[in-house]
Amino acid sequence: MFWKKKDKEKEQEKEQGSEKTGFKKAAKGVLYGMASHGHVMSALRTRMYLEHLFMFITLGDMLGIPVLPPYYSLRILPYAVPNIKSWKMRVFRERDFTDAIF
Amino acid sequence: MANYPFIFVVFAIIAYGIAFRVYGKWYDRTVWKPDPKRTTPAHMYMDGVEYFPVSKYVLWGYQFKSIAALGPILGPFVALSFGWLPALIWIILGNFFIGWLQDYGAIMVSVRNEGRSFGPISYELTGPKGRNTLLGFLLFYMIIISAVFIYLVATFWNIFPTTFVATLGIFATGILAGRLLYKYRINVVRVTILALVLIVVSIFLGRLLPIPSNFLGNWTIAFWAVVVCGILFAGSILPMPVFIQPVNYVSFFPTYLAIILILIGALLSPITNISLVQASFKGFYPDPNVGPLWPILFVAIACGAISGWHSLVGSSTTSKQLDIETDAHPVGAGSMLSEGLLALASVSCYMVLTNDEMKVAAEAAGGVRNIGSWVYGAVKLTSAYFGGGEAVKNFLTTYFGVVLVIYALTVQALVTRFWRLISAEVFGQNILGQKYPATFVGLLIPWIFAITGSWINLWLYFGGSNQLLAGLAIMLITIHLARVKSPSIYTLIPATFMIITTLAALLWEIYDFTRAVLGYLGVEEFTKFGLKVAGPLAKPSPDAPYPYPTISVLLNSVFILVGVMLFLLGLRMAYYTYKAYFRFKAEPTPAMARESA
Repeated sequence: MFWKKKDKEKEQEKEQGSEKTGFKKAAKGVLYGMASHGHVMSALRTRMYLEHLFMFITLGDMLGIPVLPPYYSLRILPYAVPNIKSWKMRVFRERDFTDAIF
Repeated sequence: MANYPFIFVVFAIIAYGIAFRVYGKWYDRTVWKPDPKRTTPAHMYMDGVEYFPVSKYVLWGYQFKSIAALGPILGPFVALSFGWLPALIWIILGNFFIGWLQDYGAIMVSVRNEGRSFGPISYELTGPKGRNTLLGFLLFYMIIISAVFIYLVATFWNIFPTTFVATLGIFATGILAGRLLYKYRINVVRVTILALVLIVVSIFLGRLLPIPSNFLGNWTIAFWAVVVCGILFAGSILPMPVFIQPVNYVSFFPTYLAIILILIGALLSPITNISLVQASFKGFYPDPNVGPLWPILFVAIACGAISGWHSLVGSSTTSKQLDIETDAHPVGAGSMLSEGLLALASVSCYMVLTNDEMKVAAEAAGGVRNIGSWVYGAVKLTSAYFGGGEAVKNFLTTYFGVVLVIYALTVQALVTRFWRLISAEVFGQNILGQKYPATFVGLLIPWIFAITGSWINLWLYFGGSNQLLAGLAIMLITIHLARVKSPSIYTLIPATFMIITTLAALLWEIYDFTRAVLGYLGVEEFTKFGLKVAGPLAKPSPDAPYPYPTISVLLNSVFILVGVMLFLLGLRMAYYTYKAYFRFKAEPTPAMARESA
C-alpha cells in the first residue's frame, strides 16, 4: 500500500503547488490590473489611432480621398493588408462618448 | 474590543462576505444566470485593443483601482455630522443591497448588449430623448466633480504646507518615468524602482520646502486653484503617454500603500490601543448647514456604499474584456464590496480623533472643521505601529496629505479630458467643441465655483448627482431585466429608493441656497443662515458685511440654477426610465405571444 500513500502524497503536494502557483498568479494579476492595465490599454489605444491614420493614408485613394500618390500606397500596401480586417471592424463600430471614460 | 476600529473592519468583512457568497450567489442564480459557455464581447469582437479577454484577477485590480478614489475617503467626513453609527449602517447595508448590484449589473447589461457602454444602452432602452438627457446630466455632473476636486486639491495644499513641493516632485517623477519607458525603452521594473525612490525623495523635499498656509490671505485657495487648473489643462491637452498615463502609474504605489497601511492600522488597533472616541449618533438634524439625515447622509457618502461613476467604468471598459460571464460577479461585486471596506477604514480614521484633535485640525484649516482631518486620523492609526516618534508623524502627515492630493488630481485629470470629449460631442464644430477652448471652459466654470462656493454644498451637489446617476444606472439595469423577462424587483426597489432620495437631496440643496439668498435679501425667517460663500467672498469677521455682496448673491443664484438643472434633468431621465420599464414589463413573454397568436 505504500505506493498508494506515496501517490496520495504526491497528489497533495501537486495540489499545494498548484494552489501556490494559483495564488501567485492571482496576486500578480491583481497587481498588474491595478498598476498597469489601464496604462497598457491607453498605449494600445494610442497605437490604434496611429494605425487608423496609417491605414487612412495608405488606402485613402480607394475610399475616394487621395491622400498619398498610388505609387507609395502600393509600396506600403503589404504592411497595411494584415490590418485591414481589424481596422474595418474598429472603424465601423458604434462609438459613444461614454466609451471614452477610461 | 467593540470600541476599536478593528471591529469596523471585521464586521465589514463578515457582512460583505455574506453579501458576496450568500446573497450574491442566490441573486446570480435567480436573476442573471451567467453562463460560462456563452460567448462574451471580448471573444466575439476581439481586436486586441478594446475587446480582448483578460483574467478576472487583472480585471478585479483594474476595476478596483478605477472606482476607489476620494469618494469613500472624504464622503464619510460629511456624513459624520450625524455620528458614526448611521454612516456605518449605510456603508454596510447600502453596499449589501444596492452598491454591488449596480456595479455587477452594469457589467452584465453591457456584456449582454455586445459590450456597449451606457450611452448606446440608454438610447436603445429609453430612446433618443433619454440618451440626450443623460448627456446633459453628465455635463453638469462633470462641472460639479471638477469644482469639488479643484477645491479639495487647493485646500490640501493650503492646509498641509509640505505637500505642494512633494506633489510636484511626484508629478515630475511620473513624467520622467514616461520618458524613460517610451523614449529610452528602459525596463519597466528598473523605472518603477527609480520612481519609488524619487517619490520618497519628493516627500522629504516637501518637508524641507514648506509653503506657508494662507500666504495670500483670502485669495490663497484661489491661487492654488489656478495652479491646479494649470496642471489639469496640461493633462487634458497633452498626449496620454506623456502626462496622465505615467503620472497615474507612479501615483498608484503611494496611494494604494496608504490604503494597506490604514487597513493594517485598523486591524492592529486593539494592540496599539487606538479606540473610537467620537459620538455614535448626534441626531437626525444636528447641523442646519449640512441638512437632515434623510436624504443628506445617502449622498454625503458619495462612494463606498454606491456610486454612479462605477456604472460608467464597468460598462465602458470592463465589460469589453470579460473572459467568461461568471467572472463578472467577482470583478463587479468583489471590487465594490472591497471599496466598502476602504470606506469603513476611512470612517475609522475620523472616529479615532478626539474633539481636541479635531479642533487642532480645524484650526490648521482656519475654520470650524477640516476636510483634511482624515490625514490626522490616518497618522494616528499608522504612526502607532511605526514607533510613533515626531519624525515619523511628520513624514506620515506629508505622505497622507500628498496621497489625498494625488488621488484627487489623477482622477480629475481624467474627468477634464472626458469633459473635452463630451464637449466635442455636444458642441461639434462650434468653438466650444474645440480642444483648447473646451478645456479652458471646462476648468474656468469649476474654478469659479471652487473658490467661492461653500465646500459642503458643493460636495453634496456632487454626491447628489453621483448617486442619482447610480439610481438611473440601476434603473437601466432593471429595464434590461424586464425586457428579457428576468426578475427585476431586486433592482427596481433600490433604484426607486436611490432616485427619490437623491432628488430629495438636490431639492434640499436648492432650498439651502434659496434661503441663503432670501435671507440676505431681507426675509426675516432666513437671515440667520447667511450667504453660502467662501474664500475672497466670505465675511472677514462674523459682524462685518460681505465684501462683494452682488457677486455673492449672483453666485448663490447660479448654484440654485445648477441644482435646478440637475434636478430637472434627473427627473426627466427618471421619467423616461420608468416609462420604458413599464412598457417592457407590459410586453408579453414569448410564450404568451405564441399563445395569443
